[in-house]
Amino acid sequence: MKLRFASMFGDMFRSLFKKPVTEMYPFKKTSAPPRLRGELMYNPEKCTGCQLCVKDCPSNAIELITVDKANKHFVMRYHLDRCTFCAQCVENCRFECLGMSNEQWELAALNKESFTVHYGREEDLQKLLGKPLP
Amino acid sequence: MENEKREKFIVPIGPQHPALKEPGHFEFTVDGETVTGATVRLGYVHRGIEKATEDRNWTQNLYLLERICGICSHSHAMAYSLGVEKLAGVAVPPRAQAIRQVTAELERIHSHLLWLGVAAHEAGFDTLFMFSWRDRETIMDILEELTGNRVNYSVNVLGGVKIDIDTERADSIRKGMDFLEERTTHYLKVVTSDETFLRRTRGVGFTTTEQAETLGLVGPTARAANVARDVRVDVPYITYADFPITITLDTRGDLEARFVVRIKELFECYRVIRLILDKLPAGELTTRMPRKIKEGETVSRIEAPRGELFYFIKSGGGEKPERVKVRTPSINNFALVTGTAVGHQLADMPMILAGMDPCFSCNDR
Repeated sequence: MKLRFASMFGDMFRSLFKKPVTEMYPFKKTSAPPRLRGELMYNPEKCTGCQLCVKDCPSNAIELITVDKANKHFVMRYHLDRCTFCAQCVENCRFECLGMSNEQWELAALNKESFTVHYGREEDLQKLLGKPLP
Repeated sequence: MENEKREKFIVPIGPQHPALKEPGHFEFTVDGETVTGATVRLGYVHRGIEKATEDRNWTQNLYLLERICGICSHSHAMAYSLGVEKLAGVAVPPRAQAIRQVTAELERIHSHLLWLGVAAHEAGFDTLFMFSWRDRETIMDILEELTGNRVNYSVNVLGGVKIDIDTERADSIRKGMDFLEERTTHYLKVVTSDETFLRRTRGVGFTTTEQAETLGLVGPTARAANVARDVRVDVPYITYADFPITITLDTRGDLEARFVVRIKELFECYRVIRLILDKLPAGELTTRMPRKIKEGETVSRIEAPRGELFYFIKSGGGEKPERVKVRTPSINNFALVTGTAVGHQLADMPMILAGMDPCFSCNDR
Protein backbone atom coordinates (compact mmCIF):
# COMPACT_ATOMS: atom_id res chain seq x y z
CA MET A 1 0.00 0.00 0.00
CA LYS A 2 1.18 3.50 -0.82
CA LEU A 3 2.44 5.31 2.25
CA ARG A 4 0.83 8.59 3.16
CA PHE A 5 1.40 11.43 5.57
CA ALA A 6 -1.33 13.01 7.70
CA SER A 7 -3.82 10.31 6.75
CA MET A 8 -6.47 11.69 9.09
CA PHE A 9 -6.25 15.26 7.85
CA GLY A 10 -9.56 14.83 6.00
CA ASP A 11 -11.36 13.86 9.21
CA MET A 12 -9.96 16.85 11.04
CA PHE A 13 -10.75 19.26 8.22
CA ARG A 14 -14.36 18.08 7.96
CA SER A 15 -14.75 18.38 11.72
CA LEU A 16 -13.99 22.09 11.48
CA PHE A 17 -17.39 22.63 9.93
CA LYS A 18 -19.33 20.44 12.33
CA LYS A 19 -20.77 21.05 15.76
CA PRO A 20 -18.87 19.48 18.68
CA VAL A 21 -20.05 15.90 19.37
CA THR A 22 -20.00 16.56 23.12
CA GLU A 23 -23.43 16.58 24.72
CA MET A 24 -24.16 19.79 26.62
CA TYR A 25 -25.21 18.01 29.81
CA PRO A 26 -26.56 19.26 32.27
CA PHE A 27 -27.76 22.31 30.29
CA LYS A 28 -29.41 20.17 27.66
CA LYS A 29 -30.77 16.84 28.82
CA THR A 30 -31.53 13.93 26.56
CA SER A 31 -33.93 11.27 27.73
CA ALA A 32 -32.50 7.99 28.93
CA PRO A 33 -33.23 4.76 27.04
CA PRO A 34 -36.29 2.84 28.35
CA ARG A 35 -34.22 -0.04 29.71
CA LEU A 36 -31.82 2.15 31.72
CA ARG A 37 -31.40 0.85 35.27
CA GLY A 38 -31.88 3.76 37.66
CA GLU A 39 -33.40 3.96 41.14
CA LEU A 40 -35.32 0.89 42.35
CA MET A 41 -39.09 1.31 42.65
CA TYR A 42 -41.27 -0.83 44.92
CA ASN A 43 -44.99 -1.43 44.79
CA PRO A 44 -46.17 -2.74 48.21
CA GLU A 45 -49.64 -3.79 47.01
CA LYS A 46 -48.66 -7.15 45.50
CA CYS A 47 -45.68 -8.00 47.74
CA THR A 48 -45.93 -11.30 49.60
CA GLY A 49 -42.74 -10.82 51.61
CA CYS A 50 -40.95 -13.82 50.10
CA GLN A 51 -37.57 -12.09 50.62
CA LEU A 52 -36.15 -13.40 47.34
CA CYS A 53 -35.05 -9.89 46.41
CA VAL A 54 -33.19 -9.55 49.71
CA LYS A 55 -31.51 -12.96 49.44
CA ASP A 56 -29.91 -12.42 46.04
CA CYS A 57 -28.97 -8.76 46.34
CA PRO A 58 -25.19 -8.71 45.80
CA SER A 59 -24.70 -5.56 47.87
CA ASN A 60 -27.28 -5.96 50.66
CA ALA A 61 -29.08 -2.87 49.48
CA ILE A 62 -32.58 -4.07 50.34
CA GLU A 63 -34.25 -4.63 53.73
CA LEU A 64 -37.82 -5.85 53.88
CA ILE A 65 -39.45 -4.93 57.17
CA THR A 66 -42.58 -6.78 58.20
CA VAL A 67 -45.24 -4.45 59.61
CA ASP A 68 -48.20 -6.82 59.63
CA LYS A 69 -47.45 -10.37 58.55
CA ALA A 70 -51.04 -11.61 58.48
CA ASN A 71 -52.25 -8.86 56.14
CA LYS A 72 -49.02 -8.83 54.16
CA HIS A 73 -47.92 -5.32 54.97
CA PHE A 74 -44.27 -4.65 54.33
CA VAL A 75 -41.97 -1.66 54.17
CA MET A 76 -38.88 -1.72 52.01
CA ARG A 77 -35.79 0.11 53.19
CA TYR A 78 -33.68 0.67 50.11
CA HIS A 79 -30.05 1.75 50.46
CA LEU A 80 -29.41 3.71 47.32
CA ASP A 81 -25.73 4.18 48.09
CA ARG A 82 -25.11 0.42 48.25
CA CYS A 83 -27.14 -0.51 45.19
CA THR A 84 -25.15 -1.69 42.16
CA PHE A 85 -28.15 -1.38 39.81
CA CYS A 86 -27.87 -4.96 38.59
CA ALA A 87 -31.65 -5.57 38.58
CA GLN A 88 -31.37 -9.09 40.02
CA CYS A 89 -34.13 -8.20 42.51
CA VAL A 90 -36.40 -7.20 39.63
CA GLU A 91 -35.60 -10.52 37.93
CA ASN A 92 -36.28 -12.46 41.14
CA CYS A 93 -39.64 -10.85 41.97
CA ARG A 94 -42.46 -13.14 40.84
CA PHE A 95 -45.19 -10.61 41.61
CA GLU A 96 -43.79 -7.69 39.62
CA CYS A 97 -43.48 -5.43 42.66
CA LEU A 98 -40.07 -4.17 41.66
CA GLY A 99 -38.83 -2.10 38.77
CA MET A 100 -35.95 0.18 37.93
CA SER A 101 -36.73 3.71 36.88
CA ASN A 102 -35.25 5.14 33.72
CA GLU A 103 -36.11 8.65 34.86
CA GLN A 104 -34.56 8.69 38.33
CA TRP A 105 -30.86 8.31 37.59
CA GLU A 106 -29.33 11.58 38.72
CA LEU A 107 -28.88 10.29 42.24
CA ALA A 108 -26.07 12.38 43.71
CA ALA A 109 -26.81 14.11 47.02
CA LEU A 110 -24.99 16.19 49.62
CA ASN A 111 -26.30 14.38 52.70
CA LYS A 112 -26.25 10.72 53.67
CA GLU A 113 -29.91 10.56 54.74
CA SER A 114 -31.27 10.89 51.22
CA PHE A 115 -29.60 7.62 50.29
CA THR A 116 -31.92 5.61 52.53
CA VAL A 117 -35.30 5.40 50.85
CA HIS A 118 -38.42 3.88 52.40
CA TYR A 119 -41.19 2.43 50.28
CA GLY A 120 -44.53 1.11 51.51
CA ARG A 121 -48.15 1.91 52.23
CA GLU A 122 -48.51 5.34 53.81
CA GLU A 123 -49.98 4.05 57.09
CA ASP A 124 -47.20 1.47 57.41
CA LEU A 125 -44.55 4.11 56.83
CA GLN A 126 -46.09 6.33 59.48
CA LYS A 127 -46.23 3.47 61.92
CA LEU A 128 -42.64 2.48 61.26
CA LEU A 129 -41.00 5.85 61.09
CA GLY A 130 -43.16 7.37 63.82
CA LYS A 131 -43.77 10.65 62.13
CA PRO A 132 -45.98 11.90 59.34
CA LEU A 133 -44.31 11.93 55.96
CA PRO A 134 -43.53 15.25 54.38
CA MET B 1 38.83 3.23 28.50
CA GLU B 2 40.38 0.05 29.73
CA ASN B 3 39.15 0.06 33.32
CA GLU B 4 35.78 1.53 32.64
CA LYS B 5 33.04 -0.49 34.24
CA ARG B 6 29.67 -0.26 32.64
CA GLU B 7 27.13 -0.02 35.39
CA LYS B 8 23.56 -1.09 34.96
CA PHE B 9 21.11 1.76 34.82
CA ILE B 10 17.52 0.86 35.70
CA VAL B 11 14.58 2.99 34.69
CA PRO B 12 11.58 2.30 36.94
CA ILE B 13 8.18 2.95 35.41
CA GLY B 14 5.07 2.87 37.57
CA PRO B 15 3.28 1.67 39.65
CA GLN B 16 1.36 4.90 39.14
CA HIS B 17 0.50 5.59 35.55
CA PRO B 18 2.88 3.30 33.62
CA ALA B 19 1.78 4.78 30.29
CA LEU B 20 -1.71 3.38 30.88
CA LYS B 21 -4.23 4.37 33.49
CA GLU B 22 -3.86 1.29 35.65
CA PRO B 23 -1.10 0.46 38.13
CA GLY B 24 1.78 -1.86 37.31
CA HIS B 25 5.50 -1.62 37.97
CA PHE B 26 8.10 -2.13 35.26
CA GLU B 27 11.88 -1.94 35.52
CA PHE B 28 13.83 -1.51 32.34
CA THR B 29 17.60 -1.93 32.37
CA VAL B 30 19.01 0.41 29.76
CA ASP B 31 22.27 0.97 27.97
CA GLY B 32 21.89 4.50 26.69
CA GLU B 33 18.47 4.46 25.05
CA THR B 34 18.50 0.74 24.34
CA VAL B 35 16.69 -1.63 26.69
CA THR B 36 18.79 -4.58 27.84
CA GLY B 37 16.41 -6.16 30.34
CA ALA B 38 12.86 -5.87 31.63
CA THR B 39 10.95 -7.05 34.67
CA VAL B 40 7.32 -6.64 35.63
CA ARG B 41 5.64 -6.52 39.04
CA LEU B 42 1.91 -6.84 39.34
CA GLY B 43 -0.73 -7.03 42.03
CA TYR B 44 -1.37 -3.37 42.81
CA VAL B 45 -5.11 -3.65 42.24
CA HIS B 46 -5.66 -6.90 44.10
CA ARG B 47 -9.13 -6.72 45.64
CA GLY B 48 -9.51 -10.25 46.97
CA ILE B 49 -12.43 -11.01 44.69
CA GLU B 50 -11.72 -14.75 44.46
CA LYS B 51 -11.83 -15.08 48.24
CA ALA B 52 -14.91 -12.88 48.45
CA THR B 53 -16.84 -15.27 46.19
CA GLU B 54 -16.75 -17.85 48.99
CA ASP B 55 -18.95 -15.59 51.15
CA ARG B 56 -21.65 -14.96 48.59
CA ASN B 57 -24.28 -17.16 47.01
CA TRP B 58 -24.13 -18.30 43.38
CA THR B 59 -26.26 -15.42 42.09
CA GLN B 60 -24.53 -12.69 44.08
CA ASN B 61 -21.18 -13.85 42.72
CA LEU B 62 -22.34 -13.23 39.18
CA TYR B 63 -22.36 -9.50 39.88
CA LEU B 64 -19.18 -9.52 41.93
CA LEU B 65 -17.28 -11.30 39.16
CA GLU B 66 -18.80 -9.03 36.53
CA ARG B 67 -17.04 -6.18 38.30
CA ILE B 68 -13.56 -7.71 37.95
CA CYS B 69 -13.16 -5.74 34.76
CA GLY B 70 -14.88 -2.66 33.43
CA ILE B 71 -14.18 -3.49 29.80
CA CYS B 72 -14.80 -7.22 29.52
CA SER B 73 -17.45 -7.46 32.25
CA HIS B 74 -19.80 -9.57 30.14
CA SER B 75 -17.01 -12.08 29.44
CA HIS B 76 -16.44 -12.63 33.15
CA ALA B 77 -20.14 -12.99 33.94
CA MET B 78 -20.62 -15.32 30.97
CA ALA B 79 -17.63 -17.53 31.79
CA TYR B 80 -18.91 -17.87 35.36
CA SER B 81 -22.51 -18.53 34.27
CA LEU B 82 -21.41 -21.18 31.77
CA GLY B 83 -19.39 -22.90 34.48
CA VAL B 84 -22.19 -22.85 37.05
CA GLU B 85 -24.75 -24.02 34.48
CA LYS B 86 -22.43 -26.88 33.52
CA LEU B 87 -22.11 -27.87 37.18
CA ALA B 88 -25.86 -27.73 37.71
CA GLY B 89 -26.51 -29.67 34.50
CA VAL B 90 -28.85 -26.99 33.19
CA ALA B 91 -29.33 -26.39 29.46
CA VAL B 92 -29.68 -22.72 28.56
CA PRO B 93 -32.30 -21.94 25.87
CA PRO B 94 -30.81 -21.24 22.41
CA ARG B 95 -32.24 -17.72 22.23
CA ALA B 96 -30.51 -16.80 25.48
CA GLN B 97 -27.26 -18.25 24.17
CA ALA B 98 -27.52 -16.23 20.96
CA ILE B 99 -28.19 -13.04 22.94
CA ARG B 100 -25.12 -13.80 25.05
CA GLN B 101 -23.10 -14.11 21.86
CA VAL B 102 -24.42 -10.81 20.48
CA THR B 103 -23.50 -9.04 23.72
CA ALA B 104 -20.07 -10.70 23.77
CA GLU B 105 -19.36 -9.55 20.23
CA LEU B 106 -20.67 -6.03 20.92
CA GLU B 107 -18.36 -5.96 23.91
CA ARG B 108 -15.45 -7.08 21.74
CA ILE B 109 -16.12 -4.20 19.35
CA HIS B 110 -16.15 -1.73 22.22
CA SER B 111 -12.99 -3.21 23.71
CA HIS B 112 -11.04 -3.23 20.44
CA LEU B 113 -12.09 0.33 19.57
CA LEU B 114 -11.08 1.44 23.05
CA TRP B 115 -7.74 -0.29 22.61
CA LEU B 116 -7.24 1.28 19.18
CA GLY B 117 -7.63 4.71 20.74
CA VAL B 118 -5.36 3.97 23.71
CA ALA B 119 -2.62 2.45 21.55
CA ALA B 120 -2.79 5.37 19.11
CA HIS B 121 -2.55 7.75 22.06
CA GLU B 122 0.60 5.99 23.29
CA ALA B 123 2.10 6.47 19.85
CA GLY B 124 1.26 10.17 20.01
CA PHE B 125 -1.42 9.84 17.32
CA ASP B 126 -4.14 11.65 19.26
CA THR B 127 -6.29 12.32 16.21
CA LEU B 128 -6.88 8.60 15.78
CA PHE B 129 -7.50 8.34 19.54
CA MET B 130 -10.18 11.06 19.51
CA PHE B 131 -11.94 9.80 16.39
CA SER B 132 -11.94 6.13 17.35
CA TRP B 133 -13.36 7.00 20.75
CA ARG B 134 -15.99 9.19 19.17
CA ASP B 135 -17.07 6.22 17.07
CA ARG B 136 -16.90 3.92 20.07
CA GLU B 137 -19.68 6.04 21.52
CA THR B 138 -22.00 4.42 18.92
CA ILE B 139 -21.39 1.01 20.44
CA MET B 140 -21.73 2.34 23.99
CA ASP B 141 -25.13 3.80 23.07
CA ILE B 142 -26.19 0.50 21.52
CA LEU B 143 -25.16 -1.38 24.67
CA GLU B 144 -26.97 1.11 26.88
CA GLU B 145 -30.12 0.87 24.82
CA LEU B 146 -29.95 -2.92 24.69
CA THR B 147 -28.91 -3.75 28.24
CA GLY B 148 -29.59 -0.66 30.35
CA ASN B 149 -26.01 0.28 31.15
CA ARG B 150 -22.85 1.38 29.37
CA VAL B 151 -20.60 -0.88 31.45
CA ASN B 152 -21.47 -3.87 33.67
CA TYR B 153 -24.32 -4.75 31.36
CA SER B 154 -25.78 -7.34 33.71
CA VAL B 155 -27.17 -9.33 30.80
CA ASN B 156 -26.63 -12.77 32.32
CA VAL B 157 -28.59 -14.51 34.98
CA LEU B 158 -27.81 -18.05 35.96
CA GLY B 159 -29.77 -20.09 33.46
CA GLY B 160 -30.26 -17.47 30.76
CA VAL B 161 -30.36 -13.77 30.03
CA LYS B 162 -32.41 -10.85 31.28
CA ILE B 163 -32.85 -8.96 28.05
CA ASP B 164 -34.47 -9.68 24.75
CA ILE B 165 -33.62 -8.27 21.33
CA ASP B 166 -36.74 -7.00 19.56
CA THR B 167 -36.98 -5.77 15.97
CA GLU B 168 -36.57 -2.14 16.92
CA ARG B 169 -33.35 -2.78 18.83
CA ALA B 170 -32.06 -5.15 16.15
CA ASP B 171 -32.50 -2.36 13.61
CA SER B 172 -30.60 0.11 15.73
CA ILE B 173 -27.77 -2.43 16.16
CA ARG B 174 -27.68 -3.00 12.37
CA LYS B 175 -27.52 0.76 11.78
CA GLY B 176 -24.64 1.07 14.24
CA MET B 177 -22.80 -1.82 12.57
CA ASP B 178 -23.11 -0.17 9.13
CA PHE B 179 -21.67 3.10 10.44
CA LEU B 180 -18.86 1.37 12.33
CA GLU B 181 -17.95 -0.85 9.40
CA GLU B 182 -17.38 2.20 7.24
CA ARG B 183 -15.27 3.87 9.93
CA THR B 184 -13.29 0.69 10.63
CA THR B 185 -12.38 0.38 6.94
CA HIS B 186 -10.98 3.90 7.19
CA TYR B 187 -9.00 3.11 10.35
CA LEU B 188 -7.53 -0.03 8.80
CA LYS B 189 -6.28 2.13 5.95
CA VAL B 190 -4.86 4.69 8.40
CA VAL B 191 -2.91 2.21 10.55
CA THR B 192 -1.46 0.40 7.52
CA SER B 193 -0.51 3.44 5.46
CA ASP B 194 0.28 6.42 7.67
CA GLU B 195 4.05 6.72 7.43
CA THR B 196 4.58 8.55 10.73
CA PHE B 197 2.49 6.03 12.61
CA LEU B 198 4.11 3.03 10.92
CA ARG B 199 7.50 4.16 12.23
CA ARG B 200 6.15 3.48 15.71
CA THR B 201 4.62 0.12 14.86
CA ARG B 202 6.37 -1.65 11.97
CA GLY B 203 8.93 -4.16 13.26
CA VAL B 204 8.39 -3.07 16.90
CA GLY B 205 7.80 -5.76 19.54
CA PHE B 206 8.37 -8.51 17.00
CA THR B 207 7.72 -12.13 17.97
CA THR B 208 8.05 -15.21 15.82
CA THR B 209 5.36 -17.89 15.91
CA GLU B 210 7.65 -20.14 17.97
CA GLN B 211 8.36 -17.36 20.46
CA ALA B 212 4.66 -16.59 20.78
CA GLU B 213 3.95 -20.23 21.51
CA THR B 214 6.81 -20.49 24.01
CA LEU B 215 5.67 -17.35 25.81
CA GLY B 216 2.14 -18.75 25.90
CA LEU B 217 0.54 -15.70 24.32
CA VAL B 218 -3.24 -15.72 23.87
CA GLY B 219 -5.87 -13.76 22.00
CA PRO B 220 -5.23 -11.21 19.26
CA THR B 221 -1.62 -10.83 20.45
CA ALA B 222 -0.96 -14.49 19.62
CA ARG B 223 -3.00 -14.39 16.42
CA ALA B 224 -0.87 -11.47 15.21
CA ALA B 225 2.10 -13.86 15.37
CA ASN B 226 0.28 -16.48 13.30
CA VAL B 227 -0.69 -18.69 16.25
CA ALA B 228 -4.14 -20.04 15.40
CA ARG B 229 -5.53 -19.92 18.92
CA ASP B 230 -9.11 -18.80 19.53
CA VAL B 231 -11.47 -20.50 21.98
CA ARG B 232 -14.46 -19.49 19.83
CA VAL B 233 -13.07 -21.65 17.02
CA ASP B 234 -11.19 -24.35 18.94
CA VAL B 235 -13.91 -25.22 21.47
CA PRO B 236 -17.08 -23.40 20.38
CA TYR B 237 -19.24 -22.49 23.35
CA ILE B 238 -22.78 -20.99 23.45
CA THR B 239 -23.91 -20.52 19.83
CA TYR B 240 -20.44 -20.13 18.29
CA ALA B 241 -20.95 -23.47 16.54
CA ASP B 242 -24.14 -22.21 14.83
CA PHE B 243 -22.76 -18.76 14.05
CA PRO B 244 -19.07 -19.48 13.58
CA ILE B 245 -16.40 -16.86 13.28
CA THR B 246 -13.38 -17.05 11.02
CA ILE B 247 -10.08 -16.82 12.80
CA THR B 248 -8.07 -13.68 11.95
CA LEU B 249 -4.35 -14.29 11.57
CA ASP B 250 -1.32 -12.28 10.59
CA THR B 251 2.15 -13.59 9.89
CA ARG B 252 4.21 -10.52 10.77
CA GLY B 253 4.13 -10.68 14.58
CA ASP B 254 4.92 -7.01 15.18
CA LEU B 255 2.84 -4.14 16.54
CA GLU B 256 1.44 -3.33 13.12
CA ALA B 257 0.14 -6.90 12.87
CA ARG B 258 -1.56 -6.51 16.27
CA PHE B 259 -3.33 -3.41 14.98
CA VAL B 260 -4.35 -5.18 11.78
CA VAL B 261 -5.58 -8.33 13.56
CA ARG B 262 -7.71 -6.42 16.06
CA ILE B 263 -9.21 -4.19 13.39
CA LYS B 264 -9.91 -7.14 11.09
CA GLU B 265 -11.57 -8.92 14.02
CA LEU B 266 -13.99 -6.02 14.18
CA PHE B 267 -15.25 -6.84 10.67
CA GLU B 268 -15.77 -10.41 11.83
CA CYS B 269 -17.82 -9.10 14.81
CA TYR B 270 -20.01 -6.95 12.54
CA ARG B 271 -20.63 -9.90 10.21
CA VAL B 272 -21.50 -12.37 12.96
CA ILE B 273 -23.77 -9.91 14.81
CA ARG B 274 -25.75 -9.26 11.60
CA LEU B 275 -25.97 -13.00 11.01
CA ILE B 276 -27.31 -13.68 14.51
CA LEU B 277 -29.83 -10.83 14.31
CA ASP B 278 -31.16 -12.28 11.05
CA LYS B 279 -31.47 -15.80 12.43
CA LEU B 280 -32.14 -15.21 16.12
CA PRO B 281 -33.56 -18.49 17.49
CA ALA B 282 -37.03 -18.24 19.02
CA GLY B 283 -37.87 -19.43 22.48
CA GLU B 284 -37.49 -18.77 26.17
CA LEU B 285 -34.91 -16.47 27.73
CA THR B 286 -34.34 -18.28 30.99
CA THR B 287 -34.61 -21.69 32.49
CA ARG B 288 -34.98 -22.69 36.14
CA MET B 289 -31.80 -22.85 38.18
CA PRO B 290 -31.53 -24.64 41.51
CA ARG B 291 -30.41 -22.49 44.44
CA LYS B 292 -28.00 -25.21 45.54
CA ILE B 293 -25.52 -26.48 42.99
CA LYS B 294 -24.59 -30.13 43.25
CA GLU B 295 -21.12 -31.07 44.40
CA GLY B 296 -18.38 -31.07 41.79
CA GLU B 297 -15.84 -28.99 39.97
CA THR B 298 -15.58 -27.67 36.47
CA VAL B 299 -13.62 -25.39 34.20
CA SER B 300 -15.08 -22.97 31.72
CA ARG B 301 -13.14 -21.23 28.98
CA ILE B 302 -14.24 -18.42 26.75
CA GLU B 303 -12.57 -15.97 24.39
CA ALA B 304 -12.60 -12.54 26.04
CA PRO B 305 -11.57 -9.57 23.89
CA ARG B 306 -7.96 -10.00 25.08
CA GLY B 307 -7.76 -13.77 24.80
CA GLU B 308 -8.64 -16.92 26.66
CA LEU B 309 -10.45 -16.35 29.95
CA PHE B 310 -10.39 -19.35 32.25
CA TYR B 311 -12.66 -20.09 35.23
CA PHE B 312 -12.33 -22.95 37.66
CA ILE B 313 -15.40 -23.42 39.86
CA LYS B 314 -15.77 -25.87 42.72
CA SER B 315 -19.03 -26.53 44.49
CA GLY B 316 -19.47 -28.30 47.79
CA GLY B 317 -23.17 -28.83 47.15
CA GLY B 318 -24.34 -25.71 48.94
CA GLU B 319 -25.63 -22.24 48.13
CA LYS B 320 -22.10 -20.85 47.86
CA PRO B 321 -19.09 -21.90 45.80
CA GLU B 322 -16.14 -23.45 47.59
CA ARG B 323 -13.59 -21.99 45.22
CA VAL B 324 -13.61 -19.79 42.15
CA LYS B 325 -10.32 -19.35 40.35
CA VAL B 326 -9.97 -16.90 37.50
CA ARG B 327 -7.11 -16.77 35.05
CA THR B 328 -7.22 -13.82 32.73
CA PRO B 329 -5.54 -13.41 29.34
CA SER B 330 -3.34 -10.52 30.48
CA ILE B 331 -1.15 -12.69 32.73
CA ASN B 332 -0.06 -14.71 29.68
CA ASN B 333 0.48 -11.67 27.54
CA PHE B 334 2.69 -9.82 30.05
CA ALA B 335 5.42 -12.24 28.98
CA LEU B 336 5.42 -10.38 25.69
CA VAL B 337 6.66 -7.18 27.35
CA THR B 338 9.52 -8.85 29.20
CA GLY B 339 10.24 -11.20 26.31
CA THR B 340 10.46 -8.71 23.47
CA ALA B 341 11.65 -5.53 25.19
CA VAL B 342 15.37 -6.28 24.84
CA GLY B 343 17.00 -4.45 21.95
CA HIS B 344 14.25 -1.86 21.59
CA GLN B 345 14.42 1.84 22.39
CA LEU B 346 13.08 2.91 25.78
CA ALA B 347 10.54 5.12 23.97
CA ASP B 348 9.02 2.00 22.38
CA MET B 349 8.14 0.46 25.74
CA PRO B 350 4.75 2.20 26.20
CA MET B 351 3.80 1.06 22.71
CA ILE B 352 4.84 -2.56 23.31
CA LEU B 353 2.94 -2.56 26.59
CA ALA B 354 -0.18 -0.98 25.10
CA GLY B 355 0.11 -3.28 22.07
CA MET B 356 -0.78 -6.35 24.10
CA ASP B 357 -3.85 -4.60 25.54
CA PRO B 358 -3.08 -5.27 29.20
CA CYS B 359 -5.82 -5.26 31.79
CA PHE B 360 -4.32 -4.90 35.23
CA SER B 361 -7.67 -5.02 37.01
CA CYS B 362 -8.56 -8.36 35.41
CA ASN B 363 -5.12 -9.67 36.10
CA ASP B 364 -4.92 -8.72 39.78
CA ARG B 365 -8.58 -9.27 40.72
